[in-house]
Amino acid sequence: MTGLRKYFTLMRAGIMEQLTFRIAMFVMVLGNIVYLTVIYFLWKAIFESSPTPVVNGMTFESTIVYLVLATAIFNFIEMYTVWEIGRNIQSGKIVLDLIRPMEYRTYLFWSYSGPILTQFFITFLPTFIAVEIVTNMAIPLGMNLLYFLISIIFAIVINYSIDFIVGGICLYSQSIWGINIMKQVVVLLFSGATIPLAFFPEPLAKIAYCLPFRAVYDGPLSILLMENPGFAQVLPTLAMQAFWALVMSLVSIGFWKISIRQITVNGG
Amino acid sequence: MENNIVLTNVTKEFKVLNRHEGLKGSIQDLFSRDYKTVRAVDNVSMTISQGEIVGYLGPNGAGKSTTIKMMTGILKPTSGEILINGKTPWKDRNKFCENIGVVFGQRTQLWWALPLIESFKLLKDIYMIPDKDYEETLEFYKTIVDIDPLLHKPVRQMSLGQRTLSDILASFLHSPDVVFLDEPTIGLDVAMKSNIRNLISAINEKRNTTVILTTHDMGDVDALCRRIVIIDKGKMLYDNDIEHLKKVFGSYRTLSLRMSSKELNEGFVESMKKQFDPYGVGVSAEDHWLSLVVNEEKIKVIDVLSKVQESVQVKDMKIEEISTEEVIRKIYTEGI
Repeated sequence: MTGLRKYFTLMRAGIMEQLTFRIAMFVMVLGNIVYLTVIYFLWKAIFESSPTPVVNGMTFESTIVYLVLATAIFNFIEMYTVWEIGRNIQSGKIVLDLIRPMEYRTYLFWSYSGPILTQFFITFLPTFIAVEIVTNMAIPLGMNLLYFLISIIFAIVINYSIDFIVGGICLYSQSIWGINIMKQVVVLLFSGATIPLAFFPEPLAKIAYCLPFRAVYDGPLSILLMENPGFAQVLPTLAMQAFWALVMSLVSIGFWKISIRQITVNGG
Repeated sequence: MENNIVLTNVTKEFKVLNRHEGLKGSIQDLFSRDYKTVRAVDNVSMTISQGEIVGYLGPNGAGKSTTIKMMTGILKPTSGEILINGKTPWKDRNKFCENIGVVFGQRTQLWWALPLIESFKLLKDIYMIPDKDYEETLEFYKTIVDIDPLLHKPVRQMSLGQRTLSDILASFLHSPDVVFLDEPTIGLDVAMKSNIRNLISAINEKRNTTVILTTHDMGDVDALCRRIVIIDKGKMLYDNDIEHLKKVFGSYRTLSLRMSSKELNEGFVESMKKQFDPYGVGVSAEDHWLSLVVNEEKIKVIDVLSKVQESVQVKDMKIEEISTEEVIRKIYTEGI
């Protein structure tokens, strides 16, 4: 237990740090509402221009629920690790993190995991409840919620690993902005967070299915929207996520080991 | 006393891209493979015993920070060996890091938005400091500095001095064997500097912690270090007691002469420099004081004084032994 304590204490500090910046939190909630309004009217226009109420097997309602929840998930699992790594590299603060008696990858994860918990309560949960009220219970309340929690943990691990790999690239490039923007666009597009995967044209959908990104958003979302699923029903998705979580973790650990030499061998 | 830190023939080279000038050059650089090798630390060896406070000095860019980074295991030397308590810094990192403390003067390792006590609690958990030791350390800290008003203040609201003080306390919190302080007194006022020096020497005395201190402030060195190591352009210039250094420069005196500012103009200082150059006298001017560093083996102070008096009226004078600062300056520029 004492071994785990240092991780939770880092997480706790992250939450406390975030809570000191109250205004930033309110602005985030507000920004979230504005974004969702835009999404609503955009897709409304798309569906109104279509001759049928069902497009690519999805109704307007199911599309909106999907996208709103995707945004809510984004808000709470995104740790902005790449920005953090980039800032730490540029300012040289990374030196101080490297002298901690803890792997950098672990240290960083727990240092920035605090916001996941706060964001869950201040953005995801309210959005979830709002969706339930507006759609008259479109999200089933059953076993899917439990499986969703497992699924979201995999998603967090995969998302963090992707960020950590991109952070490693920053060690070579010494700049973050362009790389991070590209990463965000690629992840959000191929994960189905901006456009549901059902809307993808055939070749693009095939690519998306081979990439790890859909395990971040599409995976947990499809489980969440299932009506009281059995274990056999969610197993393929969870197995796919577990596979990517393992692969991406290993890749990120390995890649970091190689790229950290950029500091240790060539100087910061 | 056992040897706590051992460096043997440590060399660190960096590969740097040869940058070209102008826009065209910048575009060339995108594809350039034209690297040059810069030797930041060149064949440095030293041994330091447990409990010593060693001043590690050198002008900017001399390779001080690079050496510190190698000793903390952040950088790996190109060749040579480093042992700290018998351990290699870049192997088994987690174990190694439990036993060192580091302060980099311009950065803080504390949690910016939180009160100091929270940072201490975090460090307690991260370094797994037993409750008893932690309480004892805090009690001990309270006897040397007045930390109560600081404990509940968010780090971001602290003055630079308070923050540096807190950072130093934090670096000693887990009772490491070695603490590296990289320019800890940079940018602080006189009172704060003296606070920090007292703090370092008190902790060193009580815990017998080895302290490696880099600084540009000779006050730090005089107050804390009995031994200094001087490095320039990556090469070690000096490694011995301060007293020994003073002995080498024992025949030097600093002669300070006060005169009216009208007479102490640039032209006059230049002419003095020219006149005394053959005798190796260092001339500098500040406020109303003209100061001359004289090597008595080459020219007597009294002769210098009479020569100066020929051209100006001296209102007041002081003769002092050479200060450490001037010794170091002479080593930087002339060598031993």
